[in-house]
Amino acid sequence: MTDYLHDKTGDDPAVAELEGLLGAYAHRAPLRELPPRRGWRIPAVTGSLALAAALVAIVIWRRGEEAGAVDCRSPGPGFAFAVDGGPARCAGDVATHGTLPVGAWLETAVSATADVRVADIGSLKVYGDSRVRLVGTGAAGHHLELARGRIAARVIAPPRLFVVDTPVATAVDLGCAYELAVESDGRTHLRVTSGAVSLEGHGLVAYAPIGSEVFAVAGRGPGTPMATGASPALRAAVAGFDAGDRTALRGIIAAAGPRDTVTLWNLLSRTAGDARAEIVARLDAISPLPPGIRAGDVRAGDAAAIAGWRASLEDRWLCPECFEP
Amino acid sequence: MDVREATVAELVVAARDGDRAAFAALYQRFHRVIHAVVLARVAACEAGDIVQDAFTDAWRKLVRLREPAAFPGWLIAIARNRATDAARRRSFEPAADLAIALAIDLAIDPPPRLEAVAALRAIRELPDTYRETLLMRLVEGLTGPEIAAHTGMSPDSVRVHLHRGMKLLRERLGGPGGER
Repeated sequence: MTDYLHDKTGDDPAVAELEGLLGAYAHRAPLRELPPRRGWRIPAVTGSLALAAALVAIVIWRRGEEAGAVDCRSPGPGFAFAVDGGPARCAGDVATHGTLPVGAWLETAVSATADVRVADIGSLKVYGDSRVRLVGTGAAGHHLELARGRIAARVIAPPRLFVVDTPVATAVDLGCAYELAVESDGRTHLRVTSGAVSLEGHGLVAYAPIGSEVFAVAGRGPGTPMATGASPALRAAVAGFDAGDRTALRGIIAAAGPRDTVTLWNLLSRTAGDARAEIVARLDAISPLPPGIRAGDVRAGDAAAIAGWRASLEDRWLCPECFEP
Repeated sequence: MDVREATVAELVVAARDGDRAAFAALYQRFHRVIHAVVLARVAACEAGDIVQDAFTDAWRKLVRLREPAAFPGWLIAIARNRATDAARRRSFEPAADLAIALAIDLAIDPPPRLEAVAALRAIRELPDTYRETLLMRLVEGLTGPEIAAHTGMSPDSVRVHLHRGMKLLRERLGGPGGER
């Protein structure tokens, strides 16, 4: 007797279809590099070398202690990290792995990347030529500063528990995964690959869900989020609007298509009066107001009504192609 | 030792003595089972990290495992504990925010279809007894005999878990594999 579910003999199209769907989740990753074992039995031949190395390490450690230096080698409070592909410095010392303590900077060479464990809530990849500081970590939250370069964060935690400051804005994690890049002049670029992130500063909040990106520049705070696949016309209009050209709003409305609802929704909180009314009309044409949300309340800037509309847009942001004709 | 031909017990003994190649061979044999155990409890986008953490734990603690034959159950217990801890740390209820709940199961590369997310969520709602076994079969592609060999369950138990779990899954799904 055949039993496809049990031993793959025979035929069961329904089970095969489920296999095809769920196979996307199959695990394929190779084994990560294993750490050294503590208390490992050291062969006698290398014992004396290890002892000498330990003595040297103690001397170096004590010299650092005397100088009041932060130590990235001891497993104290902080974020564990490992560097690959090139050199990096932790608290000024060359380091291949260790623990980034509170207050210390981790700086990667152009060719290097560093994997950083964000407490017990996620991980961070620090790309080359980047400078990251651990500002604080504890039950109340985890706080980093990205002064230069690029990071990719993946965090599973309650919203707002993980935040990253850049020179011009603060990225507040609301979901799962994003990339954050900071140029030499502080210009910040956030791209969200899963969940959502709030980019905040200068009294502005940009809500960036999966599939969107947003820029922030000095003196202006975060701009208006856009779909990562937004058209050049929409990008140009958003750039103009964010730079203070209110007339660019017409260009945004004209260029906005079904994938640009994230831009339109964010603009509801950045406009008022007739301008907001025009956005309401355009957004309503693409994604009608959900039951229970009144257009008049949104036009009046009612925060609950605007948030209620967002809830109905989340599915569209999650799967844009699901809503296209 | 040829790690391809070695038994699990032989690999465990070698890995316990520090043989990284032997441990890598154990990873090759068990990573799919461990991933299913983890995926039954946490979001897809964090399951990979927890699998690696579980194997790192196992590598560190292997010197304390006295009975090599106990390795599969011991490793699975480590993975269950890791995944349960990770799930517990999330003080929010994912189902309360459907968008985030869906997003964290979509955040793998390449992204799965939405029907896959729905099927995964339906499996996670099944009783513990069936979740892991179904994920080993439907996600990782292991057969019942392979599941039995890698978990220490009896072949009959695996068969029963698969069929009862699938029956419950069909009742929950209106889509692929479900009763239409």
